[in-house]
Amino acid sequence: MPDASVKKDFSVQQYFAQQMEEDKSMSSGIAAIKTLLMVLERTKFDTVHILHSTIQEAVKEMRNTDLSQAAIVSGTELFMRFITLAKFDDKPMEECKQIMLHRGKIFLEKLLQSRSTIAHQALQFVTDGCRILTHSRSRVVLQALIDAHTKSNKQFQVFVTHGGPDNAGDQMVAELEKVGIDAILILDSAVGYVMESVDLVMVGAEGVVESGGIINRIGSFTMALCAREMKKPFYVLAESFKFTRLYPLNQRDLPVEYKYIKRQRDNFKAHPMVDYTPPAYITLLFTDLGILTPSAVSDELIKLYL
Amino acid sequence: MLNLLFQSNTITIFEFSPVQILQFKRNLTFKRQNMVEDFDISPHNPPLKAIAGLIHDVKRGKLEGSYNITVKTLDILKKIISVCDWKSAEELMKLIRTQGKILASALPQEVVTANITRRIIKLIREEYDLLQAKVHQITDDSQASLHKLVTQTSDNDISRDYSKPQEGLREALLDHLQEIETEMETCSENVSAQAEEHIHTSEVILTLGHSRSVENFLKRAVKKRENLTIIIAECAPACRGHHLAANLATGSAEIVVIPDSTIFAMMSRVNKVIIGTHSVLANGGLRAACGAYTVALAAKHYSVPVIVLAPMYKLSPVHMCNVEQDAFNLVECAEGVIPYNSLAAKFAKVYSPIFDYVPPELVTLFISNMGGHAPSYVYRLLSELYHPEDYEL
Repeated sequence: MPDASVKKDFSVQQYFAQQMEEDKSMSSGIAAIKTLLMVLERTKFDTVHILHSTIQEAVKEMRNTDLSQAAIVSGTELFMRFITLAKFDDKPMEECKQIMLHRGKIFLEKLLQSRSTIAHQALQFVTDGCRILTHSRSRVVLQALIDAHTKSNKQFQVFVTHGGPDNAGDQMVAELEKVGIDAILILDSAVGYVMESVDLVMVGAEGVVESGGIINRIGSFTMALCAREMKKPFYVLAESFKFTRLYPLNQRDLPVEYKYIKRQRDNFKAHPMVDYTPPAYITLLFTDLGILTPSAVSDELIKLYL
Repeated sequence: MLNLLFQSNTITIFEFSPVQILQFKRNLTFKRQNMVEDFDISPHNPPLKAIAGLIHDVKRGKLEGSYNITVKTLDILKKIISVCDWKSAEELMKLIRTQGKILASALPQEVVTANITRRIIKLIREEYDLLQAKVHQITDDSQASLHKLVTQTSDNDISRDYSKPQEGLREALLDHLQEIETEMETCSENVSAQAEEHIHTSEVILTLGHSRSVENFLKRAVKKRENLTIIIAECAPACRGHHLAANLATGSAEIVVIPDSTIFAMMSRVNKVIIGTHSVLANGGLRAACGAYTVALAAKHYSVPVIVLAPMYKLSPVHMCNVEQDAFNLVECAEGVIPYNSLAAKFAKVYSPIFDYVPPELVTLFISNMGGHAPSYVYRLLSELYHPEDYEL
C-alpha cells in the first residue's frame, strides 16, 4: 500500500495548512509544492510507481481543502512534471531521491523569486501620478505596488474593490496604506463607475489557462469587460507556476471544484468563487518568464508538456 | 551628464584611417583615466568619435531614414569589433553595450540603433558559446521558460562566463557580421518581392505619407498588376505623400492624392491599407507616422485589412507603457501648420507631433524580409532576434 510507506507522524493536510498559516504571503501553489517536496523527503519508495501514487494521494488530500484550487492544481501538476522529467533510469532509487530533492530545492527557490521578478517588470508600467484599479487582494499585485512605491519612490493612487464574499479588499487597502500608498476602497459594483477615472487595471490570477485567459476571483471578468469598453489596459500579474493545462471556452467549462467551495458543490444556487476572463480582454501578462502576450502562454505550456 | 559629455567632445565626421583609430584609442584610454579622476564614481565611457559623429549627423538631419541609420551603426560597430582592443567576449560586449547605450540615449527616437546593438551582442554571445562548445559540452538556450524552470539543475544554472579569452572570436564575428550586412542589403528587396502575394489586379490600395519600403513594394506591384488604384494620404504638414505620388506616377497605376481629413471618407472603397512604420513594439503595436492611427481606425471600421511593412531591424523589444512616456513622441517644427508670420500664430498654440501609437489589434499583418507575421507572433520573432538579457541595454 502506498500510503503505508508515509511515516505516521506526518499528515499532508496538516503540513499544508501549517505552511499556509506560517507564511501568509505564500501562494497556495507554492505551499502545495513545498508539501510535496516534504512528502518526497519523508517517503520511502522503491519504484517510481509508488512515488507517483504517494504524490497523487497527497495531491488529493490537499485538494480536499477550500483554498484556491487553481493554484494547487497547476502547482502540483508542475511538480509532477518535474518528477517525470527528473527521473533517472540507470541510478538506484535512493540516489535518485537525493538528486530529486536537490533539484526540488532549486526549483522551489526559483519559484520563490518569481514574485519579485514580476514586480520589477510591472515597475515601468506604474508611472508617477497614475491611477490603478485592482481587484480585491492579490499578493503579487501587492508586492508590485509596494515595490513601485518604496523602491522607486513613485506616487500613485490605487482603487481596490471590496472583493466579496470574503472582503479581502479591506486587508489589501490596509496593507497598501501601511507603506503609505494612497488606496481607496470601492464597492465591487462600482467598477464601472471608477473605470473612466483610472489609467490602468492590474489584477492577479489564481490560474492562467492555455488560451492565455485567466481564472481569478469572481468579478475579474466584469472588470475586464469594463476596461475593454473604456479602452483601459488590463494587465495580469501571475507567476508561471500558475499556468495550467485547461482550455475553458466559457464560464460553464470551469471545473466545479474551482468554482464552489466543498460543501456547496451540489447546490446549484451557490455563488461561484472564480470566473474566467478570456484572453481577448487581457492586454499583457507579467510573469517571471517575461512580459507575455496572452498568445505566448500556450507556447510556454507546449514547451513543457510536449 | 551625458549631454555634457557630447558637448565636450569635439565632433568630427567619421572617417577611419589606421592612424586615427590608434589615436582615438589612445584618447579613449586617456579620457577614461581623466574621467575617473574627475568624477571618482565610475563614469560613463565617453562615446567613440565615430559614434559622436553618427549622433551629430542624425541630429543635423544629414543622415535620415532608419535603414541608413541602421547600416551606419552596423558599420561602426563592426569597426569596433575589428579594430578596438578587446581581450574577451565580456570586454567586447561591455564596449558595444556602452556605445549602444550612448547612441540610444542621445537618439531616443531612433530605436533601430539599440536594436542593431542588441543583435550584435546576441551574435557575440552565440559565437562565443559556439566556440566554447567545441571545447566543453554546454547546453544551449538561455531563455527563461517553464520547461527550463522544471528541468534545471544547479550546474547549468550558473550564468555563462564570458571573461575567458577566446581564440578566433574576432574572425568568427566578422564573418557573421557579413551575414547581417547582406541581410540589410537584401531586406528591402525581400519585402517588396512579396508584393504580388498581397496585391491583385484592379485593387484599390491606400497608403500614408512616404515610406521607402512602401514605395518599393508598390512599384513592384504596379509592374506586376494592372488597373491598380493607389490612394495616398498626403500626411500634412510635411506632405511627404506628394513625393511618393511623384515617384509612383511613372507606372500604369492610377495615383490619387488625398488630404488627411478625407481618409475616412475614402476608406469605404479601399481594398487594402499598406503602410510603413517607424518601429514595431514588443506587443506588436506600431510607432508610426502621425495619421497612422486614423488610417488604422478607419480601416477597422470598414474591415479593411491593414498590412504593415516592417523589416526585421525595426522590431524592438520595448513596451509602450504610457502614451505620455518619455521619448515616445516628438513635436516637430510647427511652421508647416501655421506660418510664423500669420495672424493666427500670434494667438494660437500650434503642435505638430510626429508619431502615433497604433495598438496591435488594428494591424492585420506584418510583412518583414522573413515573410508575413501576425502581430501576436512578434514576441516570438523578438526572442529569436535578441537575447532576453539585452532587452534592457
